[in-house]
Amino acid sequence: MFKNNNFIERSIAGVLSFLKESVFSDEYALKKGFLQSIDPKIKVVLFLLVLIAMLFIRHSIILLYFYISCLTFAWLSKISIKFFLKRTWVFIPLFSLFIAVPALFSVFTPGDAIVTFKIAKASFIITSQGLSGAILFVMRVVTSVSFAVLLSITTRHFELLRTLRVFKIPQVFVMTLGMCYRYIFLFVEIVENTYIAIKSRVGAKIHYKKGQHIVAWNIAHLWARSCQFNEDVYKAMLSRGYKGEP
Amino acid sequence: MHIPDGYLGPATCGVFYAVMLPIWTAASRIVKKTLKARQVPLLAIGAAFSFVIMMFNVPIPAGTTGHAVGGVLAAILLGPWAASIAITVALVIQALLFGDGGITAIGANCFNMAFVLPFAGYYIYKAISYNAPIDSNRRVIAAGAAGYIALNIAALLTGIEFGLQPLFHHTANGQALYCPYGLNVAVPAMLGEHLLIFGWVEAIVTALVIKYLQKQSPELLKEGEVA
Repeated sequence: MFKNNNFIERSIAGVLSFLKESVFSDEYALKKGFLQSIDPKIKVVLFLLVLIAMLFIRHSIILLYFYISCLTFAWLSKISIKFFLKRTWVFIPLFSLFIAVPALFSVFTPGDAIVTFKIAKASFIITSQGLSGAILFVMRVVTSVSFAVLLSITTRHFELLRTLRVFKIPQVFVMTLGMCYRYIFLFVEIVENTYIAIKSRVGAKIHYKKGQHIVAWNIAHLWARSCQFNEDVYKAMLSRGYKGEP
Repeated sequence: MHIPDGYLGPATCGVFYAVMLPIWTAASRIVKKTLKARQVPLLAIGAAFSFVIMMFNVPIPAGTTGHAVGGVLAAILLGPWAASIAITVALVIQALLFGDGGITAIGANCFNMAFVLPFAGYYIYKAISYNAPIDSNRRVIAAGAAGYIALNIAALLTGIEFGLQPLFHHTANGQALYCPYGLNVAVPAMLGEHLLIFGWVEAIVTALVIKYLQKQSPELLKEGEVA
C-alpha cells in the first residue's frame, strides 16, 4: 500500500496529454471553419465580453441558450462535438457537478422542500433553492469552460498570446508570455525523457519517500539546467541584435 | 487551487483584477529596474518552470499522488517580484490556452498564487533562514516551513473567496448564484485538504529541491534572486 511508482506514469501521462492538447488545438485552429475565419483580436474581445456577461446571468435557461449557441459555434467551426464535449466536461464541470450535489439538501441550502426521503433514520430534504442554485452553478461553469476552450482551440496559441498586446499589458509580461510558451515545450520534453529513462531503469516499485526524492531531484535539476540555458539564450538573443526591447 | 470560471461573482472577480493591477505594475517596474539584461530570458524560463512544476505528480502515502504549486520555490529562486510575474504568466497560459483556472478568475487566482503565495513564502523563508550559510540545514527547514505555511495561507484565502459568494450573491429567496457553500463549509474544506495533504507536498518538494541545489549547485541559491 505504501509502495507505488504510479507518480512516474501519471507525470508522463500529464506530459503526453499536454502535448496532445497542443497538437489538437493547432489542428482545429488550422481548419477552415467559422470561428477560425474571424480576426483573433476581435474574437478575443468578443469571447471575453461573453464570459463577463455570463457572470451576470441569473437564470439557468439563459445560460442554456448560451451553451447551445456555444455548441453550435463549435459545430460551425468544424470541431467534433464528441471531442468538444469530452474536452469541456472533463474535469472542471464534472467536479463542479459532484460538489454541487450536497448543496441540493436543506442542510446546506435551507428553503422550500420539494422532495423528502429517508435513509436509515435520517431524513433528507431537497430544497427548490438548493436545486436551482446547483443547476445554475453547474450550467454557468460548463458554459464558461466551453467558451474558454472554444476560444483556445479555434485560435493558434501564438496568435492568442499576441492578441494580449491589444490590452496594453506591460511589455515585460507580453515578452515573457511568448518566450515562456516555447520553453514549456522544451521543459516538458526534458521531463518526459528523464521520466522515461527513470521508468526504464526502475524495475521494482518505489517507496513513496524515494519517489519524493526523485521528483525533487528532477525539479532541482530542471532549474540548474534552466539557469545554464539562460546564458545560452541570452547570447543567442544578443547575436540576433537584442538591445533590451523585444 | 485554480478557481474556475463561474465560481466567483462579477464583483469578486472585478475586485481582484483591481487589486492585482497595481501589483502587476509594481512588479514589472521593479523587475525592469533590477533585472540585468543577462537575466531577461530567466523570467520566461522561470514562468515555464512554474508551469511545469505543477505537472509533476508527487507520490504520497496510500498509493496516491498530489502536485505542488511551486510558488514558494519560484520565490526563493527568483525573488518575490520576479516570481510574481513568472507565476502570473504561467497562470495566464493555463487559463487562456488550457482551460485550467477561469479567465474571469485570473485576478483572484493571481492574487492567491502569484502574490500571497510567493510573498508570504519568501518572507517566511527569509525570516527563518536569516543569516544562515548557503549550505545550512536551517535553509532546508525554512524552505519547507515557508512552503507549508504560505500554501495554507493561500488556501485559506481561496476558501474565504468561495465562502463569501453566497453572502454577496443570492436571490431574494436564498438561492445561491455562484459557489453555493458559505464560509462554514468552504473554509474547512479548502483548508483541511491543504493542511493535511497539499501543504505537506509543497513543503517536502520545496525543502528537498533546496537541499539538492545546496549540494549540487549552491551558486544558484546565492545568485538566484532577480527581484
